[in-house]
Amino acid sequence: MKRVLTTCEFCGCGCNFYLGVEDGKVVAIYPSVSHPISQGRLCIKGWQGHEYIHSPERLTTPLIKKGNRFREASWDEAYELIVDKFNQIRTRYENDSIAVFSSAKCTNEENYLMQKFARACLGTNNVDHCARLCHASTVVGLATTFGSGAMTNSINEIAGAEVIFIIGSNTTEQHPLIGDRVLRAIEKGAKVIVADPRETQLAKLCSLYLMHKPGSDVALLNGMMNAIIAEGLEDKEFIAERTEGFESLKETVADYTPEKSSAITSVPEEKIVEAARIYSRSKKSIIIYSMGITQHTTGVDNVMTTANLAMLTGNVGKEFTGVDPLRGQNNVQGACDVGALPNVFSGYQAVTDEKLRNKFEKAWKVTLPPQPGLTLVEMLNSALEGSLRAMYIMGENPMVSDPDINHVEKSLKALDFLVVQDIFLTETATLADVVLPGVSFAEKDGTFTSTERRIQRVRKAIEPLGDSKPDWKIITELSSRLGYRMDYSSPAEIMDEIAKLTPIYGGVSYSRLESFGLQWPCPSPDHPGTPYLHKGSFTRGLGKFSPADYKTPAELPSHDYPFVLTTGRVGFHYHTGTMTRKDWALEREYPTGYVEVNSQDAKQLGIKNGQTAKVISRRGEISLSLKSVDTIAKGVVFIPFHFAEAAANKLTAANLDPVAKIPEYKVCAVRLEKG
Amino acid sequence: MKILSKSNLVPFLEGLGLEFKVNAPLYEGQDVLFGDLDSSKLATDFIGKPRLSPKEYSFPQRERLFTFKNNGGVEIEAHLNETKRVIWGIRPCDLYGLKFLDMVYLSDYVDPYYQARRSNTILLGLNCNKAEESCFCSSIGTGPFAREAFDLLFTDLGDVFLVEIGSKAGKKLIEKQANLFTNATSKDEKQAGILEEKSKKTFKTYIDLGKVEAKIAGASSSPVWAEEAAKCILCGGCNWVCPTCYCFNIEDVTSGDKTQRVRYWDSCQLGGFTQMAAMNSRATQAERLRQRIYHKFSYNPDKYGGEIGCTGCGRCIDVCPAGINIAYILRRVAN
Amino acid sequence: MAIITKVCDEAAGIKTFTLEFKEPEIQKSFDYRPGQFVELTVFGVGEAPISITSSPVNKGYLELTVAAVGKVTRALHLRKEKDVAGLRGPYGNGFPFDEVKGKNILFVGGGIGAAPLRSLINQMFAYRDNFAKISILYGAREPGLLCFIDDLEGWGKTENSEVLLTVDAPDAKWRGNVGVVGSLLPKIDIDIKNTVAFICGPPIMIHFVLLDLLKMGFEEEQIITTMERRMECGVGKCGHCNIGKSYVCLDGPVFSYHQLRELGEDI
Repeated sequence: MKRVLTTCEFCGCGCNFYLGVEDGKVVAIYPSVSHPISQGRLCIKGWQGHEYIHSPERLTTPLIKKGNRFREASWDEAYELIVDKFNQIRTRYENDSIAVFSSAKCTNEENYLMQKFARACLGTNNVDHCARLCHASTVVGLATTFGSGAMTNSINEIAGAEVIFIIGSNTTEQHPLIGDRVLRAIEKGAKVIVADPRETQLAKLCSLYLMHKPGSDVALLNGMMNAIIAEGLEDKEFIAERTEGFESLKETVADYTPEKSSAITSVPEEKIVEAARIYSRSKKSIIIYSMGITQHTTGVDNVMTTANLAMLTGNVGKEFTGVDPLRGQNNVQGACDVGALPNVFSGYQAVTDEKLRNKFEKAWKVTLPPQPGLTLVEMLNSALEGSLRAMYIMGENPMVSDPDINHVEKSLKALDFLVVQDIFLTETATLADVVLPGVSFAEKDGTFTSTERRIQRVRKAIEPLGDSKPDWKIITELSSRLGYRMDYSSPAEIMDEIAKLTPIYGGVSYSRLESFGLQWPCPSPDHPGTPYLHKGSFTRGLGKFSPADYKTPAELPSHDYPFVLTTGRVGFHYHTGTMTRKDWALEREYPTGYVEVNSQDAKQLGIKNGQTAKVISRRGEISLSLKSVDTIAKGVVFIPFHFAEAAANKLTAANLDPVAKIPEYKVCAVRLEKG
Repeated sequence: MKILSKSNLVPFLEGLGLEFKVNAPLYEGQDVLFGDLDSSKLATDFIGKPRLSPKEYSFPQRERLFTFKNNGGVEIEAHLNETKRVIWGIRPCDLYGLKFLDMVYLSDYVDPYYQARRSNTILLGLNCNKAEESCFCSSIGTGPFAREAFDLLFTDLGDVFLVEIGSKAGKKLIEKQANLFTNATSKDEKQAGILEEKSKKTFKTYIDLGKVEAKIAGASSSPVWAEEAAKCILCGGCNWVCPTCYCFNIEDVTSGDKTQRVRYWDSCQLGGFTQMAAMNSRATQAERLRQRIYHKFSYNPDKYGGEIGCTGCGRCIDVCPAGINIAYILRRVAN
Repeated sequence: MAIITKVCDEAAGIKTFTLEFKEPEIQKSFDYRPGQFVELTVFGVGEAPISITSSPVNKGYLELTVAAVGKVTRALHLRKEKDVAGLRGPYGNGFPFDEVKGKNILFVGGGIGAAPLRSLINQMFAYRDNFAKISILYGAREPGLLCFIDDLEGWGKTENSEVLLTVDAPDAKWRGNVGVVGSLLPKIDIDIKNTVAFICGPPIMIHFVLLDLLKMGFEEEQIITTMERRMECGVGKCGHCNIGKSYVCLDGPVFSYHQLRELGEDI
């Protein structure tokens, strides 16, 4: 049996394990005890979630749509059709009439090539990926306050913290190996504060639980800062030496007395004050946050406010402190790092910056478009209104993951031409004109960057199934046929190019990644990588206090839609379930969707636990079974979004944060009826 | 008893490789895993146990049982694996684990797949001169030195291995390469005894097995189950790494007109393990945690004549991302 | 290998399949006891444990009554006559038969739980003189879910035998008793000391009927029931049906109430 050490393809923890290969198939998993994050442990997805690799439903040849059905085609046929159509559209309309969805599941090399393809070959900055739907607010919010939009500290510091404040993260379920560190911290006596509209597993194990109203995060955090300043618990030295804008923050939070904050959040005054005291009194306090605060129309405000809180108490820029956004996908950090975003090249270098753009033009030998492109949801809107004519989607399933699915469907159907590259015929791929078979993480080489900025190797263990090709190969072949030659002998070569053009990845090369990767910034070949950021000074110099006022979510409950719907995940399935729903062990736990309703609400609705409920919003309706719980407040319901047959996103709205353009998945209004 | 000098270990294993598939603990980077013999990676001086036990050579993580064609034609092709195999470097805890699995799978309805693999496998054990932090085999009586269930048993005396013969099959292996072995002296055997006593003193984890066995029947409503289960993240790791866990799930995987019946390791810690159409007979994590402990310390001994279903290897302690510790739980049960 | 020779709708969402083994020698030699089950393979989908509802006196075929509640059973419901399925078994311990000769027999069944009971009832009726009074109490959630209507009629017409039916929720046409099956218990008149009760149905029904029977004066050894657990291999290896030191597929699924109480922690 062959053993291949690789990085997990599911979440942003970045665990490593060995794939056991026999007769060309993956048949076993072995954890890596020496890996710094995994330490020989895995979650159920890491142990058992890989059956999809050999699923009989894997796409193994290109498909071309004929009428309503697909027929198998050769690569030549598929490529020729795409080249033909793209050229037609580009000549008839302008370059920006084509958009590219890159994939947070694919490798850094593939994401880099995808944005290079969009910019150098297609001449457009219309390239984006699902970070838009999860941490776009982080990228903007932390870049504004700190100058860098990434997790400031490292996973292994968490177990050494004295205080951990977790807001909007169901850590033990969604980032199990980070949840592992939090549990260890608790064992060592750390105080853990959890703020979440749902009483998650950690909420039951923590020292102080705040059940705040969905969307009231700014009010809660401002309330905490008000209490900190009122009791003189702020770190005056840190504020004076390392930050700017304190006066403006003080002015804003002065309004958020514990009384006012409590009225907005529904959290009792004493708890807000207690949380403030606990967090500020320690110099080893960490803030962990995730989708709970980012997926709002006030996502950027929420993120900036957590950064304000950290700066206020001097809990950033040192070990065992920091602001830790937990990136969801295995490579969403990497996909952002290498530029699969409409406004920046790799390394967050702005496309509008002439000097930086010239650097890329010189390296890529082509003139590049200077205007930022469209973001994900904007692309779909443009498709519907006609200015976007074609899309090339790699490894993304917007038909289940994007808000307002009915709208998504209309938008995708409005396109002249849609190409989808994936490993399964997803709900999105069924709408395509051409489907290209990519490969899983076990069939290609590359790198993933985890949430703690750790760039790690993904190693090929088996040959691509059937006629499928590694995604990076497909991009290069398509680009070459479209007139922009791309020629790489291996992903290692692609990384070398990334390193040359991307200062934070400057010192990265495959030979240096052999032993558990490198954490960026790693600017030069002899730089050891960076465990925590903002030591001594922030990336932007001084930390910028960026105060925000509480704003209500875009769609509030009303008479016709009296419940707040908040969406989220479960630990057994991964996002749209394309991979995990092919696995017996994971499907057996959660074979289909459900809606969590407060037991008293359920009683009033007259729907019993297990019975069918209809959930209706202004955008659509779904039927699914009801789960009566006591871990959610009255008036709030929760639906996990993994299940296409009970798609939570049929109900959600594409209300976006004005700057980050991230949808407000966490709040929309619904009503429930007996099913 | 025989003596094998350390420099002769590789020649011995490579000699075995002419007739058998040889598996041994190997260094993969800094990890130790059982693998196909590669003398450049052979791990002889590691402490403790590889994260996964060698039970998977007889009971694989994923095993294709048979394939049939869907039109119901009598075209059933069974996939029995009869590879002649020798595994070297098995710790006493894992030796006991295999003995336990033999008891489960080779009784009543004999499992032909397990039997095919197991009956063609020769076990060469390796005693432990030092315990890892999580090891508690000395409390169970399965280690640090083995007493049974081996074909040959190696003890590291420093420059040489003391080799104890445990079966005819083991004896044959030595006879075939007799030139590599010399006879052991009583001094060698005495040294092994001293090493065993020294090893017993290196343990950090203990349980009082007698007290546990006496008290366990009455502990079913102890608060410890809910308390510990509250942290469980349902990764199943405790079952995956356990040398005596034997539960499995069967799935039919269909591709085109062929269906494979495949057996996979299963975990009683997952909710779906006991899920039925109308209800789940172990609906809470507390019940499932209790099941795991009881199955090992109460039910299996009841069914199999007193044999404890736990080897004391401590892997479940190391692999748990929530810090659930079986020794701690057993201490609570015992008191 | 077995061929489906007949499919009939038993009740809403429940069908009865008649199967014959492809190989006549196997069909002839296939011997079983009421209360045992087989593992049925729906080719291309999977395998599921199903209790046998025909009786050993019915030679030459097997009957299985199946509700479509999971992946395999739902696929089975789409199969038609002449389709082939896989069978292995019989597994399980079966109901006591000879041991209860001469006694009054009380059957209490709910919904599809009557399937294994039917196997035993018909076997007993084939040897009717060996048993004293036979009372059959049967109920379902609604009239459309009552199974084995023809059998029930026939049993009711036999001497020294009675059948009482009930539903939880009647429809417009229902004229019988309304209430849970336990509500029929006060309506029968039997000599409890010389009676053995067989209960089979949804777990919650069994729970309450057990309490009622104990209140009526039944001893623990006089009450026989079947244990519901997720079973897979059928041979006591895969671990799913493990309770205490027993495997439901090996030591059960038939247990007396006395045995049940000794079984283990999670009953």
